[in-house]
Amino acid sequence: MLALLVITSLAWMAFVKPEQDRQQALADSGTVSTAQVVNYQPQDSQESAFTGGIKQFWDYTGFRNATSGHLIMMLVGLFFIFLAIRYEYEPLLLVPIGTGILIGNIPFFTDGGMNLQVGIYQQGSVLNYLYFGVMKGVYPPLIFLGIGAMTDFSSLISNPRLLMLGAAAQLGIFTTFIGALLLGFNRPESAAIGIIGGADGPTAIFLSSRLANGINVLSDGTTVKNLIGPIAIAAYSYMALVPVIQPPIMRLLTTKKERLIRMKPPRAVTKTEKILFPIFGLLLTCFISPSALPLLGMLFFGNILKESGVTKRLAETARTSLIDIVTILIGLTVGASTQADVFLTKESVMIFGLGAAAFAMATFGGVLFAKLMNIFLPDDNKINPLIGNAGVSAVPDSARVSEMEGLRADKTNHLLMHAMGPNVAGVIGSAIAAGILLSYLG
Amino acid sequence: MNWIYLTEAATVLDSLTWTIVAVGIGIVFLSLLIVYWFFRYVLTFILNFRFRSFARKRGIDPAEALTTKTIQSGEVNAAIAMALYQYFNELHDVESGVMTIKRVSRHYSPWSSKLYNMKNL
Repeated sequence: MLALLVITSLAWMAFVKPEQDRQQALADSGTVSTAQVVNYQPQDSQESAFTGGIKQFWDYTGFRNATSGHLIMMLVGLFFIFLAIRYEYEPLLLVPIGTGILIGNIPFFTDGGMNLQVGIYQQGSVLNYLYFGVMKGVYPPLIFLGIGAMTDFSSLISNPRLLMLGAAAQLGIFTTFIGALLLGFNRPESAAIGIIGGADGPTAIFLSSRLANGINVLSDGTTVKNLIGPIAIAAYSYMALVPVIQPPIMRLLTTKKERLIRMKPPRAVTKTEKILFPIFGLLLTCFISPSALPLLGMLFFGNILKESGVTKRLAETARTSLIDIVTILIGLTVGASTQADVFLTKESVMIFGLGAAAFAMATFGGVLFAKLMNIFLPDDNKINPLIGNAGVSAVPDSARVSEMEGLRADKTNHLLMHAMGPNVAGVIGSAIAAGILLSYLG
Repeated sequence: MNWIYLTEAATVLDSLTWTIVAVGIGIVFLSLLIVYWFFRYVLTFILNFRFRSFARKRGIDPAEALTTKTIQSGEVNAAIAMALYQYFNELHDVESGVMTIKRVSRHYSPWSSKLYNMKNL
């Protein structure tokens, strides 16, 4: 941290302060703009073309164009990389996102509307082409395909009532939707922010790319803001912080006696059941909420590949190479989309606040619903409410939190297998919720 | 944020907003409830029906076959899973088993030659 502070101070003194002083001087004299500097022609015959060239080169460097916003975002990127490497918080996501933030915040010359085709928002740049997958919602369904191909629904099939915990935890989405409206966001933006409560990065990116993409025009003529970057960063940040956010809420809402509840071991699940689950799951959920088809369709397709047993190569590719490639692209481009001028806004701060509330509410909903279910369940078949938090998607982190909290109360009470049920149900639930919001506001 | 602001902000929560919230929560629950209902009752019924008809064809009493179906404990499943994992993932690399002696040519170097460490009497 000390090193970061030193780097920041040095960078401030070296780049930002001189630049601010220079701009202040320009403002005082009221003359030269940067565009004019670039088209610099030596007026004085004494001045050589060499110094003019050097000056032009300097104008194009990142040192010359850096602002405090760029440096703040770079520190955020470095912090993400630090968290991933030092504490192994979601390294597969935070390393690409952190590096993407660095790439997206390298300052370059843009004055006078010049398009050097290097920035993620500049038409024709390579990063812009890669960002297309985020803007058009191409990457999230591909991620869902990989998730489907690596998910074992056995725990859910053996104890299907746990599905309801996955539904209850979606409370976070709708309460955050209301919260965002109260804070002044319009309806599509609020829906996109609300989906952070689903604790599912791809779903959050998918919905925000449809509803808060900076392109859609509302009936009153206003254009929605581009909130994809802040929403995705908030969703992934809080997913990494699930072990910090959830335990206090879980302990607050449960009694010691409830935390000691032992659940029956899950029964063995037949191969036929495993094959039928994705097929009927797909048909039943998508008939009810067709807007969730890109996500749920791919999720269940991936699972059919896995469970059919005859497409091992395809399932292997989907859960390894394909999801790895898409994770790299989505992480990098989402990170790069946090350009300081787009990201460092009042809205981003509010989104981060709402995101924290969304995760808390989702945990609250899941744990309380487990307690509610226990009222109606027989004594020998009760649910340990510590698995309620796993209803937020965040696979498998929130299930791990259930396991850790279960072991904290009783060192021999393992809840991981039970928590995986609501965990995968949460993925389905958040995709359905996204579909409903999309059908109303898309 | 004061009460006046909240009151003004609350005006954005019109009927459409509440409809979205109510329908949204309702549909999420309904969808997963239907999946639950299907897998808890319908699928179990279909699989049991198949099992019974299969047992009848084999001349086994279906009720007896169903009750004798063993449900293994979590510990047994964990042991089996661990054994399978070790079998599939921790196999030693397959080697040809052919041993060869590779001759390596080196330049002459007397650095360790005893001849030079002993007095030549």
